[in-house]
Amino acid sequence: MFVPALVEETCCAVIFTTVGPLTGRPVTAVFVIDDSGGTLPNARNCRYGAMLWGLLVSAMPLAANATALAADPATPDREPIRIGMSAAFQGPSRQVGIELYRGIATYFSEVNRRGGIQGRPLQLIAYNDSYQPDRAVDNALRLLGSDKVLLLLGFTGTEPVTRVLPLLKKYDSDHGLMFFPFTGGAAVREAPYDGLVFNLRPSYRQETEALVGELVAHGHQRIAVFYQSDSFGRSGWGGVRKALTDRHLQLVGEATYARGTMYTGSLDRQVAILQSAKPDAIICIATYAASAAFIRDARRADLNVPITTVSFASLDSVVSLLRQIGAEDQRDYLQQLLFSSVVPDPKTSALPAVKEYRALMNQAAALPPTALLDANYQPSGYNRTSLEGFLDAKLLVAMLNRLGKNLTRASLAAAVVGMKDLDIGLQHPLSFQGRNQASDEVYFDAVNSNEVAGTSAVNEAKK
Amino acid sequence: MSDLRLFSKALLGIYLLFAVIALSTSALCIHTVDQELSREYQSNSEQIAKVIADASVDVLLNRDLSVLQSLVDQYLSIRSIKYIYIADENGEVIVHTFVPQVPAEIVATDRRTTASTHRSLTGIGSVIEVVSPILQGRAGTVHLGMDAGLIGLKIQSAVGREIYLISVLFIGSILLTLLLIGTAARPLHRLLSYQRQLAGEDDGFGLTPAEVTRLLERRDLAGDLARLAQRSPSPPQTNRADPL
Repeated sequence: MFVPALVEETCCAVIFTTVGPLTGRPVTAVFVIDDSGGTLPNARNCRYGAMLWGLLVSAMPLAANATALAADPATPDREPIRIGMSAAFQGPSRQVGIELYRGIATYFSEVNRRGGIQGRPLQLIAYNDSYQPDRAVDNALRLLGSDKVLLLLGFTGTEPVTRVLPLLKKYDSDHGLMFFPFTGGAAVREAPYDGLVFNLRPSYRQETEALVGELVAHGHQRIAVFYQSDSFGRSGWGGVRKALTDRHLQLVGEATYARGTMYTGSLDRQVAILQSAKPDAIICIATYAASAAFIRDARRADLNVPITTVSFASLDSVVSLLRQIGAEDQRDYLQQLLFSSVVPDPKTSALPAVKEYRALMNQAAALPPTALLDANYQPSGYNRTSLEGFLDAKLLVAMLNRLGKNLTRASLAAAVVGMKDLDIGLQHPLSFQGRNQASDEVYFDAVNSNEVAGTSAVNEAKK
Repeated sequence: MSDLRLFSKALLGIYLLFAVIALSTSALCIHTVDQELSREYQSNSEQIAKVIADASVDVLLNRDLSVLQSLVDQYLSIRSIKYIYIADENGEVIVHTFVPQVPAEIVATDRRTTASTHRSLTGIGSVIEVVSPILQGRAGTVHLGMDAGLIGLKIQSAVGREIYLISVLFIGSILLTLLLIGTAARPLHRLLSYQRQLAGEDDGFGLTPAEVTRLLERRDLAGDLARLAQRSPSPPQTNRADPL
């Protein structure tokens, strides 16, 4: 039971989930508040709708059990635990934001259905940043400021996250923490922000190290890199370069593309540049849209060497786009592709966490509200991005449960460092002892023309 | 038209004077804007390069290159900056903003140099590249390419505005000149008509007695000539009466 706070009129989705006082069944509602200065005609109505709904839900137990509620000294504790998220829900990288949100929200709904954390429901406040760093900073400011979230969760993209980091420092005295950003960038893993950001996934350096190791082990020595012209691309480029240097090899070629490149755009120039370097393998440090466009244009130019991607280019999204264009072109674009991932195969893994993910996604997979959701977006089935969001949420809930009733930014900041043996149903229990990254598992997925062949190899990357 | 012929030399002189003024002020404007803007842009770019170089030391030595990339990317929003790259102490480009690749002209140069250069890059255009050393060059160099074309555009814009002003003044002057010529020529027309009247010719613009009186009372060259014509003996006329 809670009364939702009246948040600023901005593009915001608020999930309210609670246990119905009469039926004992979960009740969930999502309200949307617009950020475009009134382009959504019902924004104000939604805002007041959210208030009304909150009041309604609050009033129901009062009517049913007024005495018990009045006597309950813990009532103030039942305020929602606000969690803030900023991600790309629109634009070329929208699939990442939407699927990550789905995974997080699905698990939060389940937790709320079971009674929340110490009786307090989880409330996910999400804003769209369209993968734009400045908008991510604005969103973080709003979340940590007026929205008064307990923590930031699931921020997406190296560049937006890197720009938000100084803000965490600014809020250091107020213990503004970021959990599980969707990036393998080094900036969130090293000083001076290592005490302010906590990661689940391994770094791009670990992913590229594993990829280079795999390629070299299969006899590839002329490796080129295709990367996004920003800090995400540079992080991956640096990882590939280091992994090659460690093996006494050098990059034979490199080409960049601009952030925001759409799948429909041509990457012929980049393909030509890399083709002239005569590589025998290419590593993409790119979004799923740019990765798919590059693979498409490379194959059309008869550049048929193995192409690999890192986890940010969601395998499922790349394969979906290539399968679609393959059907149109009567061509198989899914040959010689290798993807690195940071989560197990969502469709086949027998790990308890993945089984639970599949069960809950089948039961009641959440969707972002319509204001955040692109009208043309078709939700994917099981996929690595929503699984990662699900695991993020699961780990966060495990951590919050350990804190007991004293859920404040300060107590969280004090307790999170050193947390260990957090078993969320993966291969091993997770820990934050002496580091700010819980997992080092890098998975490889090979793809054939019919389907994703599944996670065929699991490497624990170098720590 | 006959009036213009009368003042043709004077008009030609005025036009030539205008041309000289327009050309000389445009040249001076181009030179001044070019000098000032180039100096301003270069100074700003050097300052930005220095800021990046100073900020890079700590990042370069202690943090990941992605942080450095994020730092330089933020300066690209400045309109005059076309590119930024950072070379390490060996001259290897470790961070850059080029898409789709570092231009061959830059790859071919010695990137450890700290002298400013003027470059013409394929796909980028004309740039002035300023360089700032990181840790006196021991940790590398920051290279910043500023758009020389933008300076040209500013010059064009300034000169264009000046030419527009001069053109307006020129056209206004021509109209004023024609007006003044017309005003100056009117007594001469009257004098001509008067002399034709004296000669017994009818040019269709015969003067009234009041106009003749005003002409004779003028204290200028036209009045003097009219009075002189009045005193001069008339040529022998037959069958025509003196209008006066």
